[in-house]
Order: sequence, then C-alpha cells, then structure tokens
Amino acid sequence: MRGLLPFLGQRMLFILPQLFGILLVSFFLIKSIPGDPAVLMLGPTATGDAVAALRTKLGLDHALPMQFWYFLVDLVHGDLGTSWQTTRPVLEDLLQRFPATLELVTFGLLLAILVGVPFGVASASHERGWLGRIANAYGLTAGALPDFWLALVLIFVFYTILQVVPAPLGRIDFAVLPPPTVTGFLTVDSLLAGDWAAFASAASHLCLPVLTLGLVNAGPILKMTQSTVERMLHSDYSRYEVLSGLPRGMVVRHALRNALPSIITIISVLYGYLLGGAVLVEIVFSWGGAGQYAVQGVLNSDIYPVLGFVLLSAIFSLFVYLAVDILYFAIDPRIGR
Amino acid sequence: MLNSAATDVSAANGGTEATAAGPPMLAVRGLTVEFAAMAGAAVTAVRDFDLTIQPGEIFGLVGESGAGKTTLARALLRLPPEPGRIAAGEIRLAGRNLMELNETEMQRLRGRDLSMIVPNPRAELNPLLTVGEQIATMTRVHLRVPSREARRMALDMLRAVQIPDPERRMGAFPHEMSGGMAQRIVIAIALICSPKFIVSDDATSGLDVTVQAQILELLRRLVLDRGSAMLFITRDIGITAHFCDRVAVMYDGEVMELAAREDFFFRPRHPYTVMLMAAFSHNQRLRRMWSRPEALPGAAEPAGACRYVARCPLAQDRCRAEHPALRELALGHFARCHFPVRP
Repeated sequence: MRGLLPFLGQRMLFILPQLFGILLVSFFLIKSIPGDPAVLMLGPTATGDAVAALRTKLGLDHALPMQFWYFLVDLVHGDLGTSWQTTRPVLEDLLQRFPATLELVTFGLLLAILVGVPFGVASASHERGWLGRIANAYGLTAGALPDFWLALVLIFVFYTILQVVPAPLGRIDFAVLPPPTVTGFLTVDSLLAGDWAAFASAASHLCLPVLTLGLVNAGPILKMTQSTVERMLHSDYSRYEVLSGLPRGMVVRHALRNALPSIITIISVLYGYLLGGAVLVEIVFSWGGAGQYAVQGVLNSDIYPVLGFVLLSAIFSLFVYLAVDILYFAIDPRIGR
Repeated sequence: MLNSAATDVSAANGGTEATAAGPPMLAVRGLTVEFAAMAGAAVTAVRDFDLTIQPGEIFGLVGESGAGKTTLARALLRLPPEPGRIAAGEIRLAGRNLMELNETEMQRLRGRDLSMIVPNPRAELNPLLTVGEQIATMTRVHLRVPSREARRMALDMLRAVQIPDPERRMGAFPHEMSGGMAQRIVIAIALICSPKFIVSDDATSGLDVTVQAQILELLRRLVLDRGSAMLFITRDIGITAHFCDRVAVMYDGEVMELAAREDFFFRPRHPYTVMLMAAFSHNQRLRRMWSRPEALPGAAEPAGACRYVARCPLAQDRCRAEHPALRELALGHFARCHFPVRP
C-alpha cells in the first residue's frame, strides 16, 4: 500500500474547495428561482410593511453576495439555517431524513448490484446464449421503466392484491415504536436494540421501495458489467489464458476483476445520484426522506433545506468517490504507485 | 536430421505407419482454416497444411505477415482467431487425434501437453496478477499441485529462464517488467508443465537483437532438456538459420519449401525462398532480380494457379494454369514449384 497516504492526502486537499464551489453554484442557482419566501410565509393578505419587515428579519434585503457570506459564516458555526415550512433548524431535519433516504438507497443499490453484476457476467460469458438475450432485454426495459410507475405496479400487486406487504406509508408501522436512533437506519437500529418487532416492521416497509430501486438501477449496472466483462474476455490476456488451458470459470473471474473499476464507477455514480433521484419513489411510499424535503424546499422558496441537502449530498458523494479511489488503488497495481 | 525429415509427406495418412521410435510428436494432415467473409466465398488462411515434427526437433516456419502463421499456430491448439474455423484436417499430438477431443479435454491439454509462446507478452499477461501467481496458476490448474508447491515450482522456473533476483520478481506485476523479462515469463508459463509440444508464435519479434539471442539459446536448451519439440514461427528467416533443425517457408497459407537447415540455406529451390534470402543481401542486383515490388502480396490469384505466381520472376504459363504440388526434389527437401531453382 505504499503511496496510498500521499494519494489520499492529495484528494482530501481538494475536498474543501470542491464543497465551496458546489455551495456557491447552488446558492446562486436557487436564489435565481423566482418567488419571495416572505410573501409565501405571510400569505396573500399580508401588508407591504409586514412583508418588508420580515424580509429585513430574514436578511433578504441584503445583496446576494452578502447573503451568501452570512450563510457561510453560519455554516462554519454549524448552523444550516431554519426551514420556514417546518420551523425547525435544517440540520435537525436533515439528520432525521437523510438516514431514511440513505437506508433506502443503500439497500436498493445492494439489490441492484446483486441482480446486475451476476447477470452481466453471465450474459457476457454466454454472449450468444439465451441468458445474453434476456440480459439485453432486461437492460433495455430497466432503462425505459419510470421508477414511480414500477413502484405503483408493485404496490398494486403485493399490497392491494396479494396483501403480503404493509401499506406504503412511511418506514415503520404507526403502532410500532421506532428504536432509539443510533445510525438512523431503522433496520440497523432495531437490531442494535434487539427489537425484533421493530425490525420486522422496518424490513417489511423497505421491501417494495428497495425492490423498485433495485430492479430499475440493476439495468445500468448490468449493461456496464456485460460490456466491460465482454471487452475483457476479448482482450489479449484473456485469450492467452484460454490458450494456456485455464478453465473457463477462472478466465471469466479474472476478466471480472479487470472489469471491476468500471463497474464500481457506475455504482458510485448511481449512489450519489440516487440520494436525490429516489425522490419519486420516496413520494410514492411517503418515505419522509431527504429528497422529498429538498423538493418541498424548492417548490416553496425555502432555500435553506435545499442548500443543506445539496451540501450533505455533496459531502456524501465526495466520500463515496474517495472510497472508490481507495478501491481502485486496491484492485489495480498500476494506479498511484 | 535428414532421416527425420524423410517421414514427412510420405507419412501422409497419419499415425498408422508409426516407426519403431513411436509416433511423431506432432503430425498435421490437410489442416484447412477458413474465415467466413461477409459477402462471397470464405477466405482460406491455411490450406491443406501438412507438417510432421519429431521429438526433440525444433522446426522453423518462416513467412511474411499475412501468410497465415498465427492462424496456423492457434489452429494447432484448436483455437483459430475469430471468426476462423478449422474446416478440415487432422492434428495428432504424440499419436492422439486432437480433433476427436471435446472442449474440456482440449482445455486440459492446452498449456499442459501443448503450449504456446505468444508475441507481445506485456499485453498478454494479466495486468492485475503478479507474474509469480500467473506461473504458479499453470501448475495448480494442470498438475493439481498444492499452492505452496506451485510457488516453489514457479520460483524454480523463474531461475530456469534466468530472471535475476527471482524471489523478488515473483511479486512483480507485468507492467513493472521490460519486454525481455516479460518474454521470459511467457516462456516460463509455456514450459512449466513440461509440455510435449510448444508452438512459438513470433515470440522474439519485439526484442533487441542481443536479448533475442539469449532467449533463443535459453528456449532451445529448455526444449531439448525436457524432451519436447517445438514449432518456431517467425518473420525473420535469419533466426531459423541458427536455431532450427528443419525450416519451412509459408506463403498464403501453404508450405512453399521445406528442408533440413543446411539444405534449405545452401540449396534453396523455391523462387520465394530465394527472394526472402536475397532481401537480406547487400547485393542490389540480386535483390532486384528476385523480387517484383510492383506485385502486392496476397493479390487474388485465379483458382488453380500457383499462389506465388504474381510475385514470381520465373513465372510461366503453366504456373498460371496449374497449382503445383509439394514435391520431394531431394531426400527430405520439398518445394511447391513447377520450375524449381537449380541448386
């Protein structure tokens, strides 16, 4: 692992400037959306004086660069601002909602990997077989299906007709007491608390949204796995392994290992994207996640929840990419040494 | 050398008339490899190819690029380059007919009894595995030795191919090696299971001349020590002069001339062979006399003509009308020419 530390240090050095850039762009973009929060908060009957007073109180009468500066100063003190919709500090709201989204997206992505990678490998190693054809059809279909539509179909089949899953209302039964918060993942927290009833309820509520995200996002993972493994199987060293009489399974395994960087890349991109991209699924299942929170903020000129969400997602994505770099480093001896 | 050659073409019906010394190490009869073309007739890269190689023999096969050398090399392992396929023929390895084996039996045989040395080894080695692992995998898979023993054998093999500091090199990755080192690794992989037969496909083409000489000497010694035999395919006719017991020249999928080394170099009979040798000559007049640079290699020949007719300075009407057979002109000296050059 020589060379890993300088490599990581270099990466860490860029994280703060990257975050600053992301905040700068999103602040001015969101501010450019028409809509005055003071008017929205006070309602249609408010007097001009009252609106002006509230604007002063919210700091909206300052020039935009000054507003951004105040936002940064507060941020350094750990204050992400207050949402006028929930009237609670944004940080508190997000700490509750972000893990909800993260739990959903993480399990969804795990399912997508479990489906996409094996099918991708199988179809690449039997290019012209029926498995390859099924994988091709699946890749196309998964790319064309809207996730909220699939969610509604799954609800119709498994809740309305078969009645094997609970109603799509939130993360846990209203009658079940949620476990004390440790990680914010209800499944993990209930296991930590040894609360089987809470675990069963949380897990059953996860089933359909995870199935939705898993099946839809297995598509791109499958396509990427299939095309990269196929390319690796046609490479000089795979051909040489076949010429050397290595068994087919071993040749495919080595090809998969060589294809892993591309597969990990698409997974990491999906992971970052799904934090916000799962919002339609969150809405269908009344998940109360971070994506929903941010969209409400955009619709109601509630800027701080949006900025908070952007910031947290950015930090999360940067760490995912960092983890990806470490994985590349572990997989490929040619990188960074 | 001459008597080993004598069994060639005369043993046309394969292992049936094996001599008291046992069957030849490799006997190829009528091997034809075709590539299906998008439109029109299939392209034939190797046509009706016969070859017999005895135990302990190093057989040189010379040809320009496009002559079908690599196709032949890989077809011997029953893996012709895609989308080529073996359309006809028989390959016998120590008497065993490879065309009758199923894919699993073939897979067990490749690398163990019949192995291949590839050109451009830095691209052919798996970039993510250490070279030690890649050599050890061969014995683990083919000889089913435990990992520890496989590592020990790999280390011995690295010593045998004269890699300096072999303990450290075991843990090196292909990208950390020079071309010459990587070539030695590929030789180690090809030889570690002591195969009966080795096909070397242009193995030394990417190396410096000094390294080339070292590796050839090493290869020759290893092949002979292990009682194997080798088909050494190259573009460089000069290499075969020092290295091979018998030499054949291939042109457009066919053997044009085949002889024991001295015969081949001192008394070449085919105009193509003479042209190849003249190309090395400093004598301008000689070079011009034997080549027709205006003719492109591989230009479409009318069916039934000599494949070399367009480039041959001696071509006559008969060459355009009748495809010549490979004839034995002297003991063990074969040429495919209606009007062979006088020795």
